[in-house]
Amino acid sequence: MTHPASYPLVGRSPDAVLFRLPGRDVNAAEFLRAAHDLAAALPPGANIVNLCRDRFAFAVGIAAAILRGQVSLLTTDRSPVGLRRLAERYPGLCSFADDPAVASPLPHRTLRPGTGPSGGEAANPMIPAGHLAAIVFTSGSTGEPVGHRKSWGQLATRSEDAGRRFGMTRSAPASVVGMVPPQHMYGFETTVLLPWHAHAAAWCGDSFYPADVRAALAEMPEPRVLVTTPLQIRALLESGLALPRLERVISATAPLFADLAATAERGWNTQVEEIFGATEVGSIASRRTVEGDIWRAYPRVRLSASPSEPEPLVTAPHAVPFALSDHIEALDGTRFRLLGRRTDLIKLGGRRASLAGLSRILTGLEGVLDGVFVAPDDQEQRPNARLAAFVVAPGRDPEALLAELRERIDPVFLPRRLVAVGELPRNDVGKITADAARALHDRLAGAE
Amino acid sequence: MTAQIETTEHEVAQLIVDALHLEMTADEIAPDAPLFGEGLGLDSIDALELALALSRTYGVDLKSDDARNPRIFASLRTLTGHIEAHRTR
Repeated sequence: MTHPASYPLVGRSPDAVLFRLPGRDVNAAEFLRAAHDLAAALPPGANIVNLCRDRFAFAVGIAAAILRGQVSLLTTDRSPVGLRRLAERYPGLCSFADDPAVASPLPHRTLRPGTGPSGGEAANPMIPAGHLAAIVFTSGSTGEPVGHRKSWGQLATRSEDAGRRFGMTRSAPASVVGMVPPQHMYGFETTVLLPWHAHAAAWCGDSFYPADVRAALAEMPEPRVLVTTPLQIRALLESGLALPRLERVISATAPLFADLAATAERGWNTQVEEIFGATEVGSIASRRTVEGDIWRAYPRVRLSASPSEPEPLVTAPHAVPFALSDHIEALDGTRFRLLGRRTDLIKLGGRRASLAGLSRILTGLEGVLDGVFVAPDDQEQRPNARLAAFVVAPGRDPEALLAELRERIDPVFLPRRLVAVGELPRNDVGKITADAARALHDRLAGAE
Repeated sequence: MTAQIETTEHEVAQLIVDALHLEMTADEIAPDAPLFGEGLGLDSIDALELALALSRTYGVDLKSDDARNPRIFASLRTLTGHIEAHRTR
């Protein structure tokens, strides 16, 4: 298969609506104008961190950076320590945000994209497929953030594929309300990039609480698509709010159980689909959860077996072939079953962290001799479950340690309990086995 | 019936502890300590859970009106005040 050597920044007609802000629609021509305006104001440098809170500002910021030839670094760790650590690896790193309240330890500008009255025609340049548009960070197994490079061709073709997979057409463009943050890979693809190359318009107002979502959906024309997570599906159902007609619900970030999917399908008279993906490769497959456990790869994504790799490789246009960290069974080149996930990696609130990495951060604190993070056994079944941590730190107050952790790790991974102990149950080779970790956790439960 | 229903801080503290499965008692939540960030250290998942509990118990539907929510969730005391002013049951 040969693929085009370049793709336009926006592959939609000038009058197509890309984003819907409260009380105002932004079409492709206006979006391009806003991106050109912002590009001129961005701080200089090869790499830039987009800290915009508003989804529209974030999207304009991504487009502006591409126009300027700058690489956007996307990270969910916005702590001063996290940003400074990024700057060590990317010298000269700058940041910008739409909200003056956002603080950054980097050279920083507050920039609000204009959505003013229409001016002249703004250029919609062809961007080479191999152009590095973004680097998206996840925490690696060591706790150090690992960057995943996103070529422009990969991002553009995947949006086209997603639009096809979810039935978005010129005559019936989808109205997408996303409940997930734009800097997370899933939210980045479905609520920021999708409208640039698929027949969709994304909502850019509040969409966190159930009441927000109902209001947002009511402002959007049909067919409506809700992009969400299992946790939020449950919250929406439990809220009992009547939602406007939903064509489709799309879920990702954590396994969606068939019961919950079926309840949502009945309750909202809709179709619930899950996206399978990873920050490393982006969205690559989907399934309608109630129909069973077989995933269908996106139109141009293929799975190929290789003698040297125990796991099938994922290939997609303009993307480096990739072996998934999840164990899958390929049924053919386009369909597969998910067999299991790696246990060190945990997901909470759509973020991913490695228990080993978190433990390393804990043991790196002053006065800490040993420490370990443990996840409850049923963490996957309870999306609102939280971690606990055990620490050997004579003379240190757990509260003070917790305050130091708060500066270094995402709030969802903060241990709900940080328990000081005399020593940790390490085996002969210094490892804490899964059984020992479970025993620690049980001891915690027994103590209540 | 127009009987005044009083929302007490203790009752809201108990709701927070129950809804979020916190490992503490209601009395341990200081009325003026921040609920998010410093203080109790709640996060965005908790915010969603708490919103559900408030809706079920008091009929108060939270929205993320940015100008308002930071103050509502500022402390147990401000949250109780918001419930008192907006409860429908």
